[in-house]
Amino acid sequence: MGSEESVRDATGGDAGSAPGAADDRCAAPVGRRGFLRAGVLAAAGLAFVRPLFGETAAGRLGAGDGVRPTAPSGPDDEMTDAVRQVLKDKFGDRPITPGHVQLDIPTDAPDGRAVPTILDIDLPITATSYVATYHLLVDHNPDIALATYHLGPANGEGPIETRIKMRRTSYVRAIAEMNTGELWSAAVKVFVGLNGCG
Amino acid sequence: MPMTPHTVPRAAAPATPSLTFAMAAGAPSAVGEARILLPLSVARDAVIDVRALLVHPMDTGFFRDAQGNPIPAYFVNAVTVTYGGEQVARFEWTSGISRDPYVRFPLRASREAPVQVVWKDNKGAEYHQSVDVKFA
Repeated sequence: MGSEESVRDATGGDAGSAPGAADDRCAAPVGRRGFLRAGVLAAAGLAFVRPLFGETAAGRLGAGDGVRPTAPSGPDDEMTDAVRQVLKDKFGDRPITPGHVQLDIPTDAPDGRAVPTILDIDLPITATSYVATYHLLVDHNPDIALATYHLGPANGEGPIETRIKMRRTSYVRAIAEMNTGELWSAAVKVFVGLNGCG
Repeated sequence: MPMTPHTVPRAAAPATPSLTFAMAAGAPSAVGEARILLPLSVARDAVIDVRALLVHPMDTGFFRDAQGNPIPAYFVNAVTVTYGGEQVARFEWTSGISRDPYVRFPLRASREAPVQVVWKDNKGAEYHQSVDVKFA
């Protein structure tokens, strides 16, 4: 009985097939039960991995601010090595703190050729404390460091508005560099329809 | 505060539909046409929104034309803003900025002086536009 059971498992539960007629297209045939078992394991693994992804995405750059609650997590949420390199080239090992920066950008952008983007900060702007530079980064664009806006104390409080191109669904990151050297950031995941970069 | 822009210095070329971000095929006919918009009334020391727009294709270099030939990269990569001769802002752009680049930025209107914006593209061309801040 036990041996018959194992044979049926190995042939995918096909009762009509003779023993030894296992499907030779597959080097290691997986029976239905084995498949189900693997599925349960995979689901458990995903349930474990998903919060992990969320945590890393919400970590260093404040990703998760402005993301809709139903946003599916996935490989796009991980910061790529190229983005890390850009951040390292720009800021070295200086800490980048999520907060204070407001990045107004639609979470759904059907046309990646023009995505309206507004950058602002909720800190008071004075002659001694002002935003020296806004950095705008898009994770999966050909140019990750998309634009920088150097301002000064003569500008006063107010938003920077522009329109950017996006290649595909990706995080958009805004980093405000204060004249004192502090770095504040915000990140929004934007779902892009049409490729605007080529 | 009424935000109707009124100060619209126009270049000699007539207004083109591309100013409203029309995605017309081919290069726009008036590359380099630039506009700066200020609020209708400006109070002394008020922070105003300055809007600047340039007609430029901003080609990334990744697209091809209808014949399959690559369209070379052609985009504005440096913008400087001066107010009464002093530089108050500087922007570094890539081809990731959309066609007909538009930017809005704050400026404290501390004196009656011209605001000048200079755009430079990767082929070395420069485009100028300026508008006077006047207190009303």
